[in-house]
Amino acid sequence: MTKSIDIRDAFFDELYEIAAKDHSVIFMAADMGAFSLERFRRDFPDRFINVGIAEQNLISVAAGLALSGKKVFVYAIIPFITLRCLEQIKVDLCIMNLPVTIIGAGSGFTYSSDGPTHHAIEDVSIMRALPGMTIFNPSDQITAQHAAKSASDAAGPVYVRLDKGAWPVLHEAGEDLSKGLTHLRNGSELLIIATGNMTHSALQIADELHHSGIKAGVVDLFCLKPVSGELVGIAKGYDRIVTLEEHTLAGGMGSAVLELFAGFEVMIPVKRFGIQDVYPAGYGDREWMKKEQGIDAGLLINKLSAIYGTICERIT
Amino acid sequence: MVDADKIEMLEDKARAIRLTVLNMIAEAGKGHIGGAYSCTDIIVALYYGGILRFAPDNPSWGLRDRFILSKGHSGSALFAVLADLGYFDTSELALYCKNGSILGGHPDRNVPGIEADTGSLGHGLGIGAGMALAAKLNNTGQRVFVLVGDGECAEGAVWEAMVFAARHKLANLTLIIDRNRQCVLDFTEDCAPLDPFSDKLAAFGWDTREINGHSFEEILAVLEEPVAIVEDRPRAIVANTVKGKGVSFMEGILKWHHAVPNQDELFAARTELAQQTNYQAS
Repeated sequence: MTKSIDIRDAFFDELYEIAAKDHSVIFMAADMGAFSLERFRRDFPDRFINVGIAEQNLISVAAGLALSGKKVFVYAIIPFITLRCLEQIKVDLCIMNLPVTIIGAGSGFTYSSDGPTHHAIEDVSIMRALPGMTIFNPSDQITAQHAAKSASDAAGPVYVRLDKGAWPVLHEAGEDLSKGLTHLRNGSELLIIATGNMTHSALQIADELHHSGIKAGVVDLFCLKPVSGELVGIAKGYDRIVTLEEHTLAGGMGSAVLELFAGFEVMIPVKRFGIQDVYPAGYGDREWMKKEQGIDAGLLINKLSAIYGTICERIT
Repeated sequence: MVDADKIEMLEDKARAIRLTVLNMIAEAGKGHIGGAYSCTDIIVALYYGGILRFAPDNPSWGLRDRFILSKGHSGSALFAVLADLGYFDTSELALYCKNGSILGGHPDRNVPGIEADTGSLGHGLGIGAGMALAAKLNNTGQRVFVLVGDGECAEGAVWEAMVFAARHKLANLTLIIDRNRQCVLDFTEDCAPLDPFSDKLAAFGWDTREINGHSFEEILAVLEEPVAIVEDRPRAIVANTVKGKGVSFMEGILKWHHAVPNQDELFAARTELAQQTNYQAS
């Protein structure tokens, strides 16, 4: 078992290796650091630029650099590096289709008690609406490294939504992750499609459901745009599907899955779990926030057991 | 001292470009003629005055200087110049804004010679600063020129870019402000005042000049100055201009931001431009 490291460090360590080989790589931050970035700044001082708290200009400057042959990575807390400069992302990166990677820190309720200004619960919906944008939402250090590599190879804009902390490793080093998803656990009755840290909840939930006799499988969907058509084939091996995300249901991962299924006329019932159409009130830690929104693992086990236990008994 | 023949050539060229823009906008039934005319002389000076290094037969030439028209709604003037220089066929100009044309209301990179998609205001200076930084990192000696509208400078991102360019000592970056003192509804000083503009730019760390943006003597004199390597500061040029310059009944009138001339106005404008064989900048 690989010892897990912080998902951000995994991403930035991989980026360091890429930048060591590829001198066109430039890193730009809007006054945001990370432990593993210190090495990048020390060893490549000309290619590490802190623009200060000015995300709009950050994106435009990144576009200018990319138009001059540079491969640019920009970094800040998610709401500021996506929504504050959304129109710059649309015009300067997406319309011009430039190889700039937006690294957002703090998916979902990572910055829990900092409140709704710092939560990232609608970024996927919004970034997903931009034509040409690729979106990664890594669940562990291996998918984070994969996102860094894929971003550096991309010809157009990429958004990487980074969680925080050392999460259990779900993938093997060297595993083929090119489809943007992995079928982590096989089953037949209920498929749980999850993304980011919710994948870890999904595995816990699947374990509990197995104890109740429900044959639950799990897919980790770490590339949210484009969603691989392989998901259709996997889904067809199940009776029912649920999606789990620490994000608003309006346009998030669950919506992306439904859009894919609609395109292929997949007729399997789908139930989505995520954040309702509200800005959550109150302050607390991440687990408290998730409980309040009804998406912590314990609550979901109860809900899914109640719904699918009955259904599965009826089917058998 | 700029020689008189060169000035006359530039004045003739500017008159011809204004006529082309007039015909494009009249034919399309849309366009932003006022702002196109206020910056025509600046664009002509850059491309025909020996300032920019460029190669129409090789638009992606790696060592070219870059020009970004951040006030993208004045794209008709730039399209007219690029076509005249041979970047694409002049017949394309008649299709401006028509179905299937490569030329729309704002510049985009599908048009040969266009360096950045603009149209949304406040982006160009940041993009230009990125290009200037890349040229500095690569040590290529390329210069970057960004033309912004003064109304555009109400966008905060312009000032973010000013801070960035000064911090990174982008002496190869020149910002030209088309200071026609008008935006769509109002005069700039009545909605988002900029004065004392030159003082503000200087306070942001820019090597700042103020000129008559319709005098080729003054435009060329400031553009031909060597890059301020010693001072290591980006250069800002406040070019005082007149919206609608060149057609007397359009000059300084708010409605000509994006009004389209009717047949009588078109005839009058053509006549006036045609009479200016020795165009006098004022």
